[in-house]
Amino acid sequence: MSKSLPQLRIINRLHVLRAERRITQEQLAKEIGVTRATIIAIEGGNYNPSLELAFRIACYFKTDINMIFSIKEEIK
Amino acid sequence: MKRFDSILLKVFLYGLSLVAVLAVFSYFYSIGAVKHSGDYVKFLNGFAGFVFAVWMMLSIALSLRLIVSGPFRDQVIARITLIRERDEREAILTGKATKTVFLTSLAFLILLFCLSCFQVSVYKVPLEKAVDGKTGIVSLGLGFSLLEHGRQDRPEDTIERKDIFSYRGLPVSSATIILMLIAWQVISYNYSMRRLMK
Repeated sequence: MSKSLPQLRIINRLHVLRAERRITQEQLAKEIGVTRATIIAIEGGNYNPSLELAFRIACYFKTDINMIFSIKEEIK
Repeated sequence: MKRFDSILLKVFLYGLSLVAVLAVFSYFYSIGAVKHSGDYVKFLNGFAGFVFAVWMMLSIALSLRLIVSGPFRDQVIARITLIRERDEREAILTGKATKTVFLTSLAFLILLFCLSCFQVSVYKVPLEKAVDGKTGIVSLGLGFSLLEHGRQDRPEDTIERKDIFSYRGLPVSSATIILMLIAWQVISYNYSMRRLMK
């Protein structure tokens, strides 16, 4: 039997970065090619973006991916 | 081919409502609720048949295109459900909704299969035919036939009996079952998708 792995909770600072640059969800969505609903879902922690989208977001904000997405805690 | 697909889908969807209206008219015409005397009524009934035949031909073409063309499948699902896959999150939601539809349809089919095979009869027989003096009989059975008609379609037994309750396979036609399945797939996909997108 395989060992059960702990669940990882990924948090993000997307709303902080967006607020710092005074960008609306609609503008960000348009720039990175997704819908506003997806931005809302990411910011609310309801959806973890793919690696490609995460890199696209990081490129848009000209920052490292770790500055936006990080692992907060491990839930057993 | 892309243009052909687009026209095919439009004609199929817009024709669906016309076919539904004409089917209702034809039903009333066949039961005599609409007077058969008027020329225009006869013409309309003939026109209904023609439209239905054309629509059926288009449906066959649409089914074949749906089987062979991936982009056409995406186009159809967007038109039927009015939901487009605009980004990766919506593509994931589409997958989840499709999984739900697949599994619920499978459950529905298993249920229908069981119901189509199952037979139950509760009946009374005359005293001279009674077994151990008991005239009330409960009969349970399963009938499955791969190529020929099922037992439920065979003529009734010749034993003189008074049915109290009898169930022999599904009481609806195969066309009704297929229509029910189509409706189930479209409605359950829509419902799942909208619930996931909230």
